[in-house]
Amino acid sequence: MAFLELREVTKRFPGVVANDHISLEIDRGEIRALVGENGAGKSTLMKVLSGLYQPDAGEIRLDGRRVVIDSPRRAIELGIGMVHQHFMLIPRFTVLENIVLGSEPARGGVLREREARRVVGELCRRYEFALDLGARVEDLSVGAQQRVEILKVLYRGAEILILDEPTAVLAPQEVRELFVNLRHLRDQGKTIIFISHKLDEVLEIADRISVLRRGVLVGTVRREETDRAALARMMVGRPVLLELEKGPYRPGEDRLVVEDLTVPGPGGRPAVRRVSLRVRAGEIYGIAGIEGNGQSELVEALSGLRRASAGRILIGGVPVTEGRVRRIRELGLAHVPEDRQRRGLILAMTVWENGVLGLHRSPSFARRGWLQVGAIKKHAQSLVREFDIRLPGLDIPVRNVSGGNQQKLILARELGREPTVIVASQPTRGLDIGATEFVRQQLLRARDRGRAVLLVSADLEEVLSLSDRVGVMYGGELVAEFRPGEVTPEEIGHYMLGGRSRTAGAGPARDGAPGGAGRGEAGSASPGTDGAAGAD
Amino acid sequence: MVSELLASAIRMGLPVLLAALGAVYSERSGVVNIGLEGMMIMGSFWGAVGAYYAGPLAGMALAVAASVLMALVHAAVSVTFRVDQIVSGVALNILAYGVARFSSIALFQKATMSPHVQGFTPINIPGLDQIPWLKPLVTNLSPLVVVGFLLVPLSHWVIEKTVFGLRLRAVGENPLAADTLGLKVFHLRYAGVLLSGVLAGLAGAYLSVEHTGMYVEGMTQGKGYIALAAMIFGNWSPVGAMGAALLFGFAESLSFRVVESAVVPYQFIKMIPYALTLVVLAGVLKRTTPPAADGIPYEREEA
Amino acid sequence: MRKRYRYVALELASPLVAIAFAVLVGAVVIAAIGKDPVEVYRIMFTFAFRRLDSVGIMLFGATPLIFSGLAVAISFRAGLFNIGVEGQYLIGTFLAALAGFALKGLPSFVHLPLVIAVAALGGALWSLLPVYLKVRRGVHEVISTIMLNYIAFSLIHYLIADVFMDRQQGLMPGVGNPLIRTPKIAPSALMPRMHGFLALFGVDLPRHVYLNWFFPLGLLLAVAVHYLIWRTAFGYELRAVGHNPAAAEAAGIDPAAVQIRAFLLSGLIAGVTGLSDLLSYFGYMDLDFPKGYGFTGIAVALMGKNNPLGIVLAALLFGFLNRGAEGVQTFAGVPMDTVVILQGVMILSIVVASAVMGRYIRRQERKEALGASW
Repeated sequence: MAFLELREVTKRFPGVVANDHISLEIDRGEIRALVGENGAGKSTLMKVLSGLYQPDAGEIRLDGRRVVIDSPRRAIELGIGMVHQHFMLIPRFTVLENIVLGSEPARGGVLREREARRVVGELCRRYEFALDLGARVEDLSVGAQQRVEILKVLYRGAEILILDEPTAVLAPQEVRELFVNLRHLRDQGKTIIFISHKLDEVLEIADRISVLRRGVLVGTVRREETDRAALARMMVGRPVLLELEKGPYRPGEDRLVVEDLTVPGPGGRPAVRRVSLRVRAGEIYGIAGIEGNGQSELVEALSGLRRASAGRILIGGVPVTEGRVRRIRELGLAHVPEDRQRRGLILAMTVWENGVLGLHRSPSFARRGWLQVGAIKKHAQSLVREFDIRLPGLDIPVRNVSGGNQQKLILARELGREPTVIVASQPTRGLDIGATEFVRQQLLRARDRGRAVLLVSADLEEVLSLSDRVGVMYGGELVAEFRPGEVTPEEIGHYMLGGRSRTAGAGPARDGAPGGAGRGEAGSASPGTDGAAGAD
Repeated sequence: MVSELLASAIRMGLPVLLAALGAVYSERSGVVNIGLEGMMIMGSFWGAVGAYYAGPLAGMALAVAASVLMALVHAAVSVTFRVDQIVSGVALNILAYGVARFSSIALFQKATMSPHVQGFTPINIPGLDQIPWLKPLVTNLSPLVVVGFLLVPLSHWVIEKTVFGLRLRAVGENPLAADTLGLKVFHLRYAGVLLSGVLAGLAGAYLSVEHTGMYVEGMTQGKGYIALAAMIFGNWSPVGAMGAALLFGFAESLSFRVVESAVVPYQFIKMIPYALTLVVLAGVLKRTTPPAADGIPYEREEA
Repeated sequence: MRKRYRYVALELASPLVAIAFAVLVGAVVIAAIGKDPVEVYRIMFTFAFRRLDSVGIMLFGATPLIFSGLAVAISFRAGLFNIGVEGQYLIGTFLAALAGFALKGLPSFVHLPLVIAVAALGGALWSLLPVYLKVRRGVHEVISTIMLNYIAFSLIHYLIADVFMDRQQGLMPGVGNPLIRTPKIAPSALMPRMHGFLALFGVDLPRHVYLNWFFPLGLLLAVAVHYLIWRTAFGYELRAVGHNPAAAEAAGIDPAAVQIRAFLLSGLIAGVTGLSDLLSYFGYMDLDFPKGYGFTGIAVALMGKNNPLGIVLAALLFGFLNRGAEGVQTFAGVPMDTVVILQGVMILSIVVASAVMGRYIRRQERKEALGASW
């Protein structure tokens, strides 16, 4: 009998079914990997398990008994411990303090430090975790911080550990160490659920692998019975090139050129490493890849919101690497930001005021410092009409407008500027079908009108259907570049998950690549020379 | 001579010390307390009232009660209602000014000062008072001085070594993480603010009852704000706050001596604490780090 | 559409709720000292409105608050707290007095505007350091402005008492002490009162009322500020930065530059705050020059929700309260400072009411918007 059972678990959000009748069985002492693309529903499912969300349907059984997990505390009581992707640690506290916080050994309100040290030390020994209990968490390596998170749940008696994208921020050696620890834990009877999109790692550590795609469980396989290609296929499916009206592909001159760009990310480490690409007039260049591989930082550097540390950016031939936002915009670059409410709109201001955000000083909207309100409102009116934004009026604060209409407004505003380059980052995220279709159509129309469009999206189907050329980013590098249709979905999946490519600019060699097996195998499948591989 | 100067510095610096200590509790839990000045005003007024009617101990008690009441309002407004903490503090300071004036008229028929009040009998520290050069430091002390200085290591111990202190700090650094671990964020923040009320009340009471012997309107003279600067300078720690407070006290006591020699107009000397605060804040802020969640109201996001 | 009016009404509700709550608390306080609240309030109203001199005095009392309220509001809208209006207006007032008594022989239409300009620049000067420290070194402007307030107090004290004290005051020897004040300001720099103008309409203001042209000037300024905030590109950027600096940055606006400009503008207006008293009432600056307009200005800005029209109304309200308090003290034996408590309670209530009301409104609007289909 399975230790943990999910039966027909379903979770819905407005407009989307995040988990669609998912049924899973996990044995005690098993390492189960849960894989899928962004938006597949992995995180949601785990939040259900850890008590943050309540399922709309279905049930969960632990050791044969039905359980209701209605809060994180309940989950901990049941022995389910969640190790979040974004650590819930207090940087200035020590390892020991972070672990015992909330369940401190104490007498009369006074911390019993020695007791705490003993208990936690014992845990470290039993599971063979190497940790300096007196070190401050902010001084620790990311791998060590993760061990602290794991110890937190072990200290509270977790039998089931859920790790959400644990290797996303780890260097290869740290991944090694983590896996050693996980195996120990498993050998001691713990059950581990491991969420990831990195197929190599999953194949190395997991006993069984369950694949989710668009909210549905595609299947569960044993590690021995599968390989990268099979998993990639399950994960990515067969992307359907959406039926969209697209004009003939007649690219013009280079409008956006990026040369050897390196951009620092959080913690000073480079998030973008020596990326080079060019986008021409009348073309859509799509950047595919799982989120978190440097795309955001790349976009920020291009739009002037983040400083590059090396390399060049040219807009219409004009270098702007130390560019300020205003200058970049004046040169004709329009930016559709991925965080629309933070960067793209001022929620407290009205629709018509947001309609000129960034353009408010142009001659038609401001004369000698005075806002030409009439012209601005007329402009907003035409934006709303052209982009079919359904609103009760222009005077309402934009925060009361739906997400789809908000995005339409941003798009209308930015495209309405007749820009030469458009950088659109996750433009259809969170939008319903209608708005999504619309946005995609608009991007195509811009391209047909001769604009250069750089599209960044975690939705592979979208990238493949819209783009004329595609670049795949992984680990901050551009690891592959091709035209859609030249490459099989398996190959794309492979690049997205770290495989090396035949076409992209080779970056510095990667250290300690985990197991050559996966990579080599896919590598041999692709032709050694340039040329379209048999499509699909 | 040096010890006399030091003793004077201690007397001048004690209100700032107490208030800064209070600020430490509040800000470590993540609540900025601009209202410290108002709480000190309440403490100075009601301390005098209590001392007038029933002696210095009653004065202390009343001062603390009034100040804690004000702190309770600040906590409710900024933690529960999530009003901007600065606005709440400023509003409370204005209110404190009005309450003091009104109550002063009601009780003493004069808006701006109270009658003279009796303070504590000064104490000497036994044993040490035999050493000649220590004499000015350990004789004729207000008991509050002793209390204040004892509170420093006590606070350090509470913050670093007790369960309460650990949780208080957690809530000021990362309330979300604390929440996921089951800590009661609001309760802990209330505790921090209320403690700052207690200490600010004592600070004000010391000023009126012990230091001056009566309540005078405006006697706090911005010491509540200077206490905040002292806390920042002291890197949000009790011992650091003490050091900074003594520094300010020293500057102030120095200013009185300089006035006597009349080289520089005394108004400029009076400016020294405030100018010093500015210098400290401008120079120092780059290297000290406040609690990570300081000043940010906590809102549990709905899933 | 009707829904929108409902929300507007709710937004207006918070100041009204605050006033109502304060009135209640005031009633409790009045009862606590043994007087009848209803009677006291009645006296307050009749005293303030039934007498012509009271109305004039109320408007005179409101005048400085209009200026300081506008100054505070501008900084709030840009996301900053200008608590330093206190110091800024004292410095401005002093410099104006200086220009008033030191310059002689200038015609009125030159001297008066010059004096006003000097006051404004003085205020702006005093606001420069805090905003610079904030933008470049991250120093919180609340503490830095408050420190500068205290420095201003000392500085002005020194300048009035030791440097510029008027030693030629005509006093009979041996009788009374000289006032610690600056020399008198030249008549060419004084601001005329409104008596002559109002007489044209048959309104005869008593002599002891000092209502002057700074009042209509204040109203004009409120209108100007309204246009500045809502109708200029600068005002647009100011609001954008105050709401969401990240989006403003992405739109090519420089948040730091905007904040500096806004804060300096705030200082400019703050500097003029004391001129109604200086140039129409006192004619000189002494050590007892009214202090507190800065803090009351904060209250006025909060009550007026940082909106010029609201600020004028709130200033008038406070003018009413102050005048009413005088009447209540004279005729009902209730200390004037009851009013100060009223004001304090009002401020607290309005910030709480605004926060709660604001959140409620926002939640309702959100629900509606999500409920409605695209």
